[in-house]
Amino acid sequence: MRRWLPAAWLALAGAMPVAGADAPSLTVFAAADLGFAFKEIVPRFEKSVGAKVSLVLGSSGNLATQIEHGAPADVFFSADRAFVERLAARGAVIAESRAVYAQGRIVLATARSFGPRLTDLRQLGDPRIRHVAIANPVHAPYGRAAEEALRKAGLWETVKPKLVFGENIRHALQFIQTGAAEAGIVARSVANVPEIEWTLIDSSLHAPLQQVAVVVKRTARPELGLAFIQFVNGPEGRSIMKRYGFILPGEF
Amino acid sequence: MDLFPIWLSLQVSLMATALTLLVGVPVAWVLARRRFPGRDLLEALVVLPLILPPTVLGYYLLLVIGSQGPVGRALAVAGFELAFTWRAAVLAAAVGSIALLIKSAQAGFETVDARLEQAARTLGRSEWSVFWSVTLPLAWRSVLAGTVLAFCRAVGEFGITLMVAGNIPGKTQTLPLAIYDRVQANAMGEANALALIAVGGVALLLFGVSRMARLKY
Repeated sequence: MRRWLPAAWLALAGAMPVAGADAPSLTVFAAADLGFAFKEIVPRFEKSVGAKVSLVLGSSGNLATQIEHGAPADVFFSADRAFVERLAARGAVIAESRAVYAQGRIVLATARSFGPRLTDLRQLGDPRIRHVAIANPVHAPYGRAAEEALRKAGLWETVKPKLVFGENIRHALQFIQTGAAEAGIVARSVANVPEIEWTLIDSSLHAPLQQVAVVVKRTARPELGLAFIQFVNGPEGRSIMKRYGFILPGEF
Repeated sequence: MDLFPIWLSLQVSLMATALTLLVGVPVAWVLARRRFPGRDLLEALVVLPLILPPTVLGYYLLLVIGSQGPVGRALAVAGFELAFTWRAAVLAAAVGSIALLIKSAQAGFETVDARLEQAARTLGRSEWSVFWSVTLPLAWRSVLAGTVLAFCRAVGEFGITLMVAGNIPGKTQTLPLAIYDRVQANAMGEANALALIAVGGVALLLFGVSRMARLKY
């Protein structure tokens, strides 16, 4: 064994530099609810400016924490204003670059495997519905909105024992997609999947989900980050965002 | 399909296992052979990564190696970036898996008859030489078993990696993160393909190792 050990080390050392080669030019940290819309927007932006975009999706709270601790993000699209304000207060983002890019909506989602589409939050009290999926209200904005809506509708205590928390909104969506949860409350922007039927929830039931984008301070190319935010808020970006059910700036 | 996560994961887990061996074997030996104040504390510390949920562990690690953390700052002064690079993924995988190696290797070292080591010493061997020519060869299978466990855990590392290395495609997105991402994006076909590659690849490697285990030291 001692004879081939040095060879193994050599092979390992030789393998080292490959990882992490050529960094993409723009890293976008985006809230999970933007996944589907950004899959369409990013290639168009790449084509229009000739840059390469690396898209990192996650829960806004998690991404904000990582940015605070030096994650190499150039732009941050948060599902909630509060996270951006927190980063601005700590000097981790370029405060002047803040821009509202959308207002989120939540929907009451029903798994097709369960049966008839629910049209009213009160139907969540139905004993045949045993699990209700929402995103974790502690750190996911859409989870918080779901909790607010349930509380305002006077259903929180009834529904609480049935709640299952997703790590972020796409995770909550999965619980319903797989039928593990019969129903749930998710973002309108991720709800267009074949396994699910949905009903829009009255936006007066929760505080507005103002979604804010910002350029991160440590970026090497703030102008490119700003260009991406402007692209999302521009005609091409808006038409795609609208298709995924976001309410856009100027339409609130 | 983007194959980058496979290569990254292979390299990350191999390097993490190497790092684990480098640090873990001496620690295991010390735990097995030496009595000193703080030994119980060290023994508890070793299994800590198995007790803490990975994301929590990742968060604490980020506080230490991130740009605000003491280690992160010191490294930044030296011009070295750790958090959110592939090196952080190696660290994450090593931290998550080292306990498995240490506990197996420690058990292996403990079963080696101390009288055999004594005999080697009376024949004039140095401590270093006793370890390489007596202790390690006799504990070889336990160390190998621990290494296999640690390697498998390193390949599957998710929570710590997500926190300290991020999930950056083409940079720090390892195989488990890539699979998670595909599942989240509803791309089940790709997710299944990647999962199959992960399982198949590791199975092949383990097959190789099990043949190697029949080799004598």
